[in-house]
Amino acid sequence: MTVTGAETGRRTMPAVAAKGVTKIYGHGDAAVHALRGVDVGFDTGAFTAIMGPSGSGKSTLMHCLAGLDTVTEGEVRIGDVDITRLGDKRLTLLRRDRVGFIFQAFNLLPTLTAEQNIRLPVDIAGRQVDQELFDTVIGTVGLADRLGHRPSELSGGQQQRVAVARALISKPQVIFADEPTGNLDSRSGAEVLSFLRTSVRDLHQTIVMVTHDPVAASYADRVVFLRDGALVTELAAPTPQTVLDTLLKLEA
Amino acid sequence: MLRTTLAGLLAHKLRLLLTSLAITLGVGFIAGTFVLTDTLQAGFTQRIAASADKVDVAVRPAESGGEKAPRLSTADLTRIRGVAGVAEAQGLVRGDAALVGKDGKAVGSAPTTGFSVVTGRLDRTTIASGTAPTAAGQVVIDTNTAKTRGFTTGDTVTVLDSRHRPHAFQVTGLVDVGVDQMLAYTGAVGFTTATAQAMTGETGFHEIDIAASDGVTPENLRAAITSALGGTGATVWTGQQLAQQLARSNGADTEILTLGLLMFGLVAMLVAALVIYNTFNILVAQRTREMALLRCIGATRRQVFGSILLESAVVGLISSALGLLTGLGLGAGALAVLKATGQNLPSAGVALAPRTIAIALAVGLVVTVGAALLPARTATRVAPIAALRTQTDEQTFTTGMLRIAFAALFLLTGGGLTVAAVVADPGPVALYVAMGGGTLTFCAVLVLGPVIVRPLSAFAGWAPAKLFGVPGRLAMDNSRRNPKRSATTTVALTIGVTLMTLISVITATMRATYTVKLDEQFPVDYMVSAQAGESENSSVPRDLAGALRARPELTSVVEIRQARAGRGGGTGGGSGGGSGGGKLTVGTFSGPYKPALRGGSMTGFTAGSALVSDSVAKDLGVAPGGTITLTTPKAGTVEVRVLGTFDGETEALPGVTVPDGAFDTYFGAVGDDRILVNAKDGVAADVSRKAVEAAAMPYPTAQVVSSTEVRREFDETLDMTLMIIVGLLGLAVLISLLGIANTLSLSVHERSRESALLRALGLTRGQLRRMLSAEALILGLIGAIVGVALGLVFGWVAAQTLMADILFRVPLAQVAGLVALSGLAGVLAAVFPARRAARASIVASLASD
Ligand SMILES: Nc1ncnc2c1ncn2[C@@H]1O[C@H](COP(=O)(O)OP(=O)(O)OP(=O)(O)O)[C@@H](O)[C@H]1O
Ligand SMILES: [Mg+2]
Repeated sequence: MTVTGAETGRRTMPAVAAKGVTKIYGHGDAAVHALRGVDVGFDTGAFTAIMGPSGSGKSTLMHCLAGLDTVTEGEVRIGDVDITRLGDKRLTLLRRDRVGFIFQAFNLLPTLTAEQNIRLPVDIAGRQVDQELFDTVIGTVGLADRLGHRPSELSGGQQQRVAVARALISKPQVIFADEPTGNLDSRSGAEVLSFLRTSVRDLHQTIVMVTHDPVAASYADRVVFLRDGALVTELAAPTPQTVLDTLLKLEA
Repeated sequence: MLRTTLAGLLAHKLRLLLTSLAITLGVGFIAGTFVLTDTLQAGFTQRIAASADKVDVAVRPAESGGEKAPRLSTADLTRIRGVAGVAEAQGLVRGDAALVGKDGKAVGSAPTTGFSVVTGRLDRTTIASGTAPTAAGQVVIDTNTAKTRGFTTGDTVTVLDSRHRPHAFQVTGLVDVGVDQMLAYTGAVGFTTATAQAMTGETGFHEIDIAASDGVTPENLRAAITSALGGTGATVWTGQQLAQQLARSNGADTEILTLGLLMFGLVAMLVAALVIYNTFNILVAQRTREMALLRCIGATRRQVFGSILLESAVVGLISSALGLLTGLGLGAGALAVLKATGQNLPSAGVALAPRTIAIALAVGLVVTVGAALLPARTATRVAPIAALRTQTDEQTFTTGMLRIAFAALFLLTGGGLTVAAVVADPGPVALYVAMGGGTLTFCAVLVLGPVIVRPLSAFAGWAPAKLFGVPGRLAMDNSRRNPKRSATTTVALTIGVTLMTLISVITATMRATYTVKLDEQFPVDYMVSAQAGESENSSVPRDLAGALRARPELTSVVEIRQARAGRGGGTGGGSGGGSGGGKLTVGTFSGPYKPALRGGSMTGFTAGSALVSDSVAKDLGVAPGGTITLTTPKAGTVEVRVLGTFDGETEALPGVTVPDGAFDTYFGAVGDDRILVNAKDGVAADVSRKAVEAAAMPYPTAQVVSSTEVRREFDETLDMTLMIIVGLLGLAVLISLLGIANTLSLSVHERSRESALLRALGLTRGQLRRMLSAEALILGLIGAIVGVALGLVFGWVAAQTLMADILFRVPLAQVAGLVALSGLAGVLAAVFPARRAARASIVASLASD
């Protein structure tokens, strides 16, 4: 099933695009088809959510899109680069310069302070942090008085906000988030999600987020639905109710 | 519980292997020591038995306590031959008979030993090739001397008799001296009994071997001979007793070797214990959740404790068994190396005594289980609730009062003892006190380790952080995030580095100190002296000094003569008179020589006066102005007045020095013990050397040494000692490196999610590897820095306690090399863990917990 959706006709190239992506774990009888030929594009400056039942291949798709995992077949483009053809070194550098991550848990290095964690990707790249952007981001996520603390001294919500700040600071072409609010209560989750929302609107950031939560998905501009490793449908301008309805339909 | 433990062990084979390796190496070294020395001992015993088997009874002379080796007389031999039941009795002759080498000089620093080769039933000589001497003009040479001096059967050689007259002999064969240490040391030339007596000038025998007639038991014969020799005090042994006696004296030698090697084995085991302790500590920390889960589902504290101890027991047993095998290999290897370097060793099979097996297994087991006790106790403290926590919390370390108190206690007593040792007079007592102080100070460092590791890692990590950027900075953070773990890891390395630094400091200090002393003692370019023999006339004729003086290239020829005189005690001037009795070395010098006196003066140095060394003055209790009574062979009892004292260590003079005229009246025209010669200014070294050698040429026993040679020989001895000790300590360092590798791989495993996160954020594989290498580098450097600091301090202390007036030297290059090597070795230890971390899949690592 092919989903080209709203971007047909637009002139801008999608920030990330997958073409016929297949991922098979294991061999022979034990082979698991986690992705079965997924074609999907994510527009620059858009906030897209990926949803689907457990085991449908959401995380796998995200890992393949982000260059964390290899694909069995197909092509993944970040900007104009086909990352499936890159070696580990070039892939790492591409990730460093163009991709940001927010994971469900364990986002931060325990030995570094919040500020050091935020600056880490830029430091690794050996670049200078854009101080103006830094101040804006810190101001937005509200961490100004927490910068000197280590992760163990921060709450789960604060830790996720640090992770969001870190993803934003290197101005990546795309940010991937795998259930970023999965471990948070609804209030902290809502905070994190509105930062993501704001960064898309104000900083023109591209975000791809995997989630189980219809409310979280409703912060996105668009939701794509996976089932058994294939894209089945998508929603534009989702609300919690339309998302829930679509999910129920999928599981039926 | 047992099944859970074993399943856990099998699931982590690599970890098991690394942990075992530390113990395996330590146990291997200890077992190897026993295997080596047991094999040597067994071989010796076997040879001795084979040799002693041929005699039924052996007689050795009574210990005389005199200066000359005791001998049995011809009368004794005649008496023995007269005893009923004696089938044959042969006296064995032994004495100096200097073999002259192809260069015309007597070989070796001591003359070769001439001995009688007995033929027939009592022949105990092992002829390696050729035949035994049967006529006056024939000789056999020991295989080693023949090889090093280039002689073979059929050659004609010159041997000097006891009065240094040359005689020509035909070499009829080569002889294997076996376990006879004396013959092996000096080299041996064997003659017929009559020739041996003529050549060595010995009329007596150092042993008489006896064969019994048929039907006479050795015990009965021994009794008969003992009564026949009644009153001479000679020892009479049966062949078996002789063998036991010989084996015992050989055993003492191997025992020293065993003890020496075991010391290093002990250090290695100590380091291994630290490595094991650390490994189990980390394992317990990493398995907190597993333990907690076990507690949740009903395991008691005892069961948790037991499971850890069981794990350590299995590890201990496996690694000790492997260690035993390693030891067998090491022992056999060392034996092969010794043989390859030309040591004359018996070739018995490798000996594996039950004791070796027992000790190896026991040591390995006890050390492993002992080191795991504390970690096991920690494991019992895990609360069941810990199973429910998601993220294992970071180990936070706070310096406790108890730690500070203990450290202070150790530091104060250790420091106190050390200061006491430095202040005390040099000697063994001071050295032991210093060792005690050093051990306590080391304990203080051990206790303080976690406290000092933080600032030290900042120091050691400064360069890596600058060099490697972000990976370097992360490495520094990682190296200090768990101070206890880092401290134990590095202390293991510190032990080896401390000892190595200590040894190299002591060696450098000794070298500097002795070089200066040598310059004072040996203020001349050449020294000509006689081969140090057993016979009294181990001197060179005075004509040689004349010949040297006649040489235009040479100048300031000083002859030094000496002889032994009876000691009649000293009176006056000092703190009470010394007692009489004993012997003194009395000598003189002739030529341009000005002794530097410590007390008194040279004025009036004529017959009836003497200069004494300060140690003799102390022994006799005399001071300038006092008198000494000497019993001399030519002038009977004489009294000499002490004019002055000199430093016996730096002056080249005999302990009691009298004017040369007086010396001749006391002792007659004794030859020169040594002659000091200088080259004239402007004469090249090789020219003056040739002049001295030419003058000495007619005197085969006169040996020429130059000051450079003496220094070089001394340097070589020191270098050799340093190399051996450092080599043996290398094992401890190797084990501590295994510890670094082990800690690092466990830490890497623990931090696999962190590594994956860093990789996701754009850290390349190379950077990740560099990060881990830098961490190991920092750990290595911390260990080395502490070790070098301790080694320098205690090297200084040890040197102070070894002797007075030392010239303290720090071998900067060696110490710097040691630090660099430790860092490098740390990096090497990180190679495997780093590779594994870099290869790990990001996605899989992120998912794991
Ligand atoms: N390393 C792996 N080896 C084998 N199979 C795997 C592996 N990783 C994932 N799978 C399988 O691939 C399929 C997709 O997994 P994936 O983790 O992408 O699902 P998901 O949609 O993220 O599920 P969830 O909502 O539970 O996180 C599942 O059937 C899973 O069992
Ligand atoms: Mg998932």
